[in-house]
Amino acid sequence: MKARSVGGGRGDPALKAVTPDGDPVLAARLTVPTVPGTFVRRDRLVEQLTEGAHSPLTLVNGPAGAGKTLLVADWITAYEPGAVAWLTVEPQDSAPGVFWSYVLHAFRHHGIALPEDIGSPARPGEVDHSLLARLAAWLNGRDSRVTLVLDEFDRVAGAAAVAEELQFVLRHAGEGLRLVIISRTEPLLPLYRYRAAGELVDIRADDLAFRAEETAALVDRHGLPLSAEAARVLTERTEGWAAGLRLCTLAAQRADDPESFLKDFEAGHSTVADFLLGEVLRAHPEETQDLLLRTSILEETHPDLANALTGRDDAEPILEELQRANAFVEPIGHSWYRLHPLFAEILRVHLRVRHPGLEPELHRTAAEWLSRAGLLDEALPHAADAGDWELAAAELVDHLAIGRLLTGLAAERLDGLFARMAPEASGPAPDLVRAARELAHHDVDRGVTYLRRAEENLPGGDTGDGAAAARLSCAVLRVLAARVAGSADLAETAARDAAEAERALPAGRLERHPELTARMLTDLGSAQLWAGRFDAARSTLSAAVDAAQGRSTAFARHEALGRLALIDFLHGRPGRAEAHARGAIDEAEQSGLPMSDRTGMAQLVLAAVAIDRDDLTPAQGHLDQAAATSAASRDPVVAVELAILRSRMLVARGDPGTALLALDDMAKQPLVPAEPSPWVSDRITLATAAAHLADGDPKAAVKVFEEQPSHSPESLAAEARARVAAGDSERALRILDELPDDEDRGPVIDVWVLLARAQVVDALGDSAAAQSLVLRALTAARPHHVRRPFLEAGPWLRHLLLHRPALARDHAWLTGTRSPQPADSRQREESVGPHPEPLSARERDVLERLAQLMSTEEIAADLHLSVNTVKTHLKSIYRKLAATRRGAAVRRARELGLL
Amino acid sequence: MRYEIRVDGEMSDELTTAFPELDTFVVPHQTVLYGQVDDEAHFYGLLMRFQSLGLHVAEFRRLPE
Repeated sequence: MKARSVGGGRGDPALKAVTPDGDPVLAARLTVPTVPGTFVRRDRLVEQLTEGAHSPLTLVNGPAGAGKTLLVADWITAYEPGAVAWLTVEPQDSAPGVFWSYVLHAFRHHGIALPEDIGSPARPGEVDHSLLARLAAWLNGRDSRVTLVLDEFDRVAGAAAVAEELQFVLRHAGEGLRLVIISRTEPLLPLYRYRAAGELVDIRADDLAFRAEETAALVDRHGLPLSAEAARVLTERTEGWAAGLRLCTLAAQRADDPESFLKDFEAGHSTVADFLLGEVLRAHPEETQDLLLRTSILEETHPDLANALTGRDDAEPILEELQRANAFVEPIGHSWYRLHPLFAEILRVHLRVRHPGLEPELHRTAAEWLSRAGLLDEALPHAADAGDWELAAAELVDHLAIGRLLTGLAAERLDGLFARMAPEASGPAPDLVRAARELAHHDVDRGVTYLRRAEENLPGGDTGDGAAAARLSCAVLRVLAARVAGSADLAETAARDAAEAERALPAGRLERHPELTARMLTDLGSAQLWAGRFDAARSTLSAAVDAAQGRSTAFARHEALGRLALIDFLHGRPGRAEAHARGAIDEAEQSGLPMSDRTGMAQLVLAAVAIDRDDLTPAQGHLDQAAATSAASRDPVVAVELAILRSRMLVARGDPGTALLALDDMAKQPLVPAEPSPWVSDRITLATAAAHLADGDPKAAVKVFEEQPSHSPESLAAEARARVAAGDSERALRILDELPDDEDRGPVIDVWVLLARAQVVDALGDSAAAQSLVLRALTAARPHHVRRPFLEAGPWLRHLLLHRPALARDHAWLTGTRSPQPADSRQREESVGPHPEPLSARERDVLERLAQLMSTEEIAADLHLSVNTVKTHLKSIYRKLAATRRGAAVRRARELGLL
Repeated sequence: MRYEIRVDGEMSDELTTAFPELDTFVVPHQTVLYGQVDDEAHFYGLLMRFQSLGLHVAEFRRLPE
């Protein structure tokens, strides 16, 4: 969707009135065109359209000016064939994301209440296939067909993807959709298939051509009675071409002697439109001709804009008169007019002949006017056509729209527009645009070079809004460049400059462009995260999430939430990490970010948490999804974490050798940022050492830590484990004793540290202390079902648990096969039916020992009971739990939460 | 590649300026445009230009080199 800065920008109050409710040009694209009073309805064509009500596809094909649009518009206006959405296609819609945004917009504009969960495309170049599936399914579920009219479809005729997607939706919408395509050329749909199945209504040039009697009716509408013979000859001369007939009657109306004009025309051999348009043009006053020629460079015009182009002030009466005469222009509401595209095309040829060299100047004037009116998207192409790149770049910067070159639906279109920028264009604004394009293409060095040049040429001091906007844009791009370079210092300096520039902007200006701030905060937070400034990163990223809601900031929120999730995970807080990760994914789903455009960070965090829980199948799924994102190759944090988690997966599956090879591979590849990240190196060291430990080679693990000393509690705990395993328990204890008492340490980190200490004291012979430490670790791990630290602890823990059944007793979640997740437990309880008769205290004692796989004799000894008494208790337990065997009784007891 | 394009009707001098890369002459009932067509993009571009100006292409043929 084009994000338009309507009514914003430099806020010329006099121009606000031209854009009263949003964007008149956009609204015009979604409005069924008005049918003029002189229109001749032709029943044979209406019948074809009406009969097509049960066909999925209607094609109205014919040359420019054949009367295609008015035919369909009149049919809709007069016959109201149910729910109708109209969209006049534009060339930029050949980008599927843009196309489908407008289609969804058209549905909603016409009161067709699409459910919100269908979503909307977030990138111009592509649309999430699931979105199309949801749309088709929703249409399919309707009682009656929605008619979707796509006018001027030839403008995207070359876009095979759009045609394919339309075909997909049409096939899966069943009886819910009727597609009417109006086009100069045949669309790339499998027409033969529809034709063979009798599912195609095909109205072509021959059908659209006027018959003699229809010509007579048309000419009559213009107050020019015509004999049947004259109508026949005129039809022949124009080949029934509607535009030719229309021009012909207009010219005849203005001729001194209409009849002889028609005779002369019929006898002539000129090309129809060209000749007649010249005639009609000449018949108008000089001022009107001048206005038509000058406004031919626009698709839509407004009296004020026309005045700006003519340098006069008579546009309003002239346009009204032209509209009344049904010549050249049609009103599209709010005093805006549209020139018939065919006539505009010919008028432009005349303009070039009559005023050579004037065109660029007109484009520049139009660009300036449109920009002042806040219509940036309309202004930029005119500035480009004027070859005035300083102007185009300045408009983009002044409207605080530089960020739109980096992300969002307009990115590709703007990138393409500025790709044509002349190398001679100089000044801060063109350099800022160049820098943004290079950064968007991941060429940081060239981006920074342009950024430096822009900065050197920035006007100093408070020299107006323009300067503040340029300074802000420059600072925002510097934050981005600093993020890529991995420098939190540079990012923080640039962010301070941005804040200063923001203060120099007029109030309210920045609020209209929240995406710029959100983007800067995300980049700043990412740079701080890389540098290990976790507290700063957390508060910056939270600010980015809270910055502003809405589509324009969706990507920033998605990215910021993903990184907040990572920070939580790194601090050992799986619950919060999961919540943030789910938030990031929800954000992407709701705003329709395609898979490849997501950061993948959220999936990585979910994978990491799942690995800690020993839920390896879901973990693998999350890892695969993370790897499918583009960030997997571009974002160093994602790339490193992906490699680390893959190695942890391999270790968890009992293949530490392959894990080591994978880590080795990663270590060989240089990371993009110039500045290293302390905690990222720590994580690599930790993963490598853990793989060595799992491989039964503690000496190698110790060596890793000696070569690459690390500082995080989790790493130090791992080093202590490596030292103990290598036989140096004293050293291990010192390491743990020196651990700072960090308040910002989540339960998972606590578990690792407690277990390491337990292992150390166990090795030093104090098994009572070890037991108490393990108990503390179990208690900390239980709420999150963190199993990994216990599974990787080594044989000492299994040994300890075996001889301390009371410990394992309370923590069946640890050894039990996939005990229920905290989130599922309620559901589980509901599914097990009514509660059984309660167990006595003695029966519970017996049951608990049963769960520890103790034999009847062992239970008897442990509880100081006779074997027979235990057997009696067992029978009673089986009866109460409706079980016949030990295993079933224990399983049932776990389901009921008795264990 | 040189091409010759025949368009129905006699084009005005103004309109022929829309095809500055081609030479033109008028024959009864038709205008002939001829000249170098660089590549396929140019070829389709020309077809679109004729169409957008409301011109009817009667013949489009490649000339022997």
